[in-house]
Amino acid sequence: MKKVKTKKDQRAYFWFFSFLALILIFLFGITSPYLGYYWLFGILFGFVLQKSRFCFAAAFRDPIIAGSTSLFRAVLVAMAIMTVFFTLIQYNAVQGGALTIPGRISPVGVHTIAGGFIFGIGMVIAGGCATGTLMRIGEGFFMQVIVLIGFLIGTLWGAWDYPWWERVFISNSPTLHLAQYFGWTGAVIFQLVLIAVLYYIAKKYDDQNNILL
Amino acid sequence: MKSKIIIGPWSYLTGAILLAVLNTLLFAALHTPWQITTGITYWAAWIFKFLGGAPENWHYFANNASKSEGLSQSFLSNSLSLMNFGVIFGALLAVLIASQFKVKKIKSPKQIFAALLGGIIMGYGTRIALGCNIGAFFSAIPSLSVSGWVWGISAFIGAWVGSKLLIKYLL
Amino acid sequence: MAEVRLDCLYEACPIPLLKTMQSLKVLNQGDVLIVETDHSCAIKNIAEWVGKQKLPCEIIEVSNGEWEIYIRKER
Repeated sequence: MKKVKTKKDQRAYFWFFSFLALILIFLFGITSPYLGYYWLFGILFGFVLQKSRFCFAAAFRDPIIAGSTSLFRAVLVAMAIMTVFFTLIQYNAVQGGALTIPGRISPVGVHTIAGGFIFGIGMVIAGGCATGTLMRIGEGFFMQVIVLIGFLIGTLWGAWDYPWWERVFISNSPTLHLAQYFGWTGAVIFQLVLIAVLYYIAKKYDDQNNILL
Repeated sequence: MKSKIIIGPWSYLTGAILLAVLNTLLFAALHTPWQITTGITYWAAWIFKFLGGAPENWHYFANNASKSEGLSQSFLSNSLSLMNFGVIFGALLAVLIASQFKVKKIKSPKQIFAALLGGIIMGYGTRIALGCNIGAFFSAIPSLSVSGWVWGISAFIGAWVGSKLLIKYLL
Repeated sequence: MAEVRLDCLYEACPIPLLKTMQSLKVLNQGDVLIVETDHSCAIKNIAEWVGKQKLPCEIIEVSNGEWEIYIRKER
């Protein structure tokens, strides 16, 4: 039996909320010059994530449950593009006299492995990673509101326990940057080759695997 | 063609290229690439403070200049908090322009349990690994940080365990 | 030639995909599976997986943010 359903045009709401977003860019922008940009970047990230259904949880999960690596390979493409430009930004900053290399460079050790591992479990059973959770709240999922509540509890708990992790692991872990081993050019080439090899393996894996549960 | 762009879905590759460009622009313009969970930690700390806690005395916030500064701000005056609101708002705009907005209720208690448990271990994981899939992975690997690769491998193994648990208990 | 409806409304990823896999397995040749879902990612990953099985599939948006995926088990 076909259920009778109607489809409403929601574009009026789109225009209303777009208008609201614009006003907020202005309001945040006059509070502090950067706030308006952060708000705008957040909106653009959210828009692109939703429109392309870009889900990092699926990128890690789909190769395992469905033998599909299309999203994983898309992440690799993004990584390759950013590797080139991030390194240029870092190189220019260092040439310009920056004391530390800008970017997200963290100590690597047991805490990275433990944190990444439990995050990996969490994102699969919760049906979304950090970005996926935020994006799906925007889409109207109540389940992801619960995930966010869990997330808030978890971050607070982690922040409370942080001194222990810092003392035992983080403070004893080295901060490794690829350029310190290979030089700037070498590091970019090394990383791009690594990404290309992973891409090739992922494509082969996708072609050969047809998981039927 | 026009409706394909407005309604979507776009291909994963389109999304990947646009996210890479946006993250590069963010890094170039505001000197720090995309991150999510530090903002979420501030949300948690502000709510905790509202409920009567004193997170500003915690080692995690008190011993770090940028974190104690972030904590002294609020939902709408902290840049990372605002960027996270932007992600939610941007996703809302993306569904509305396609007329695909629908409120999705919760189906079963099992979902609540999985969501809460998954959220808590993700949240805890982000604090000890110094970031989530964005800060410790998507922005870390292009920064040539070895930690990004180690995080990626660890999360992949975690996702494997998570998938087994999901198929066994949640399907 | 049966038509089987699979209710995946309010389910989070990847449950709709996994349930689709399970249901297709027990269907007979020629049957049609109709997956009802409101998860915007499911329409993408189910269509991709069904395409990989070389089965025809059609997606209809029945309401705001609600889809029906028609899959014919040809083989």
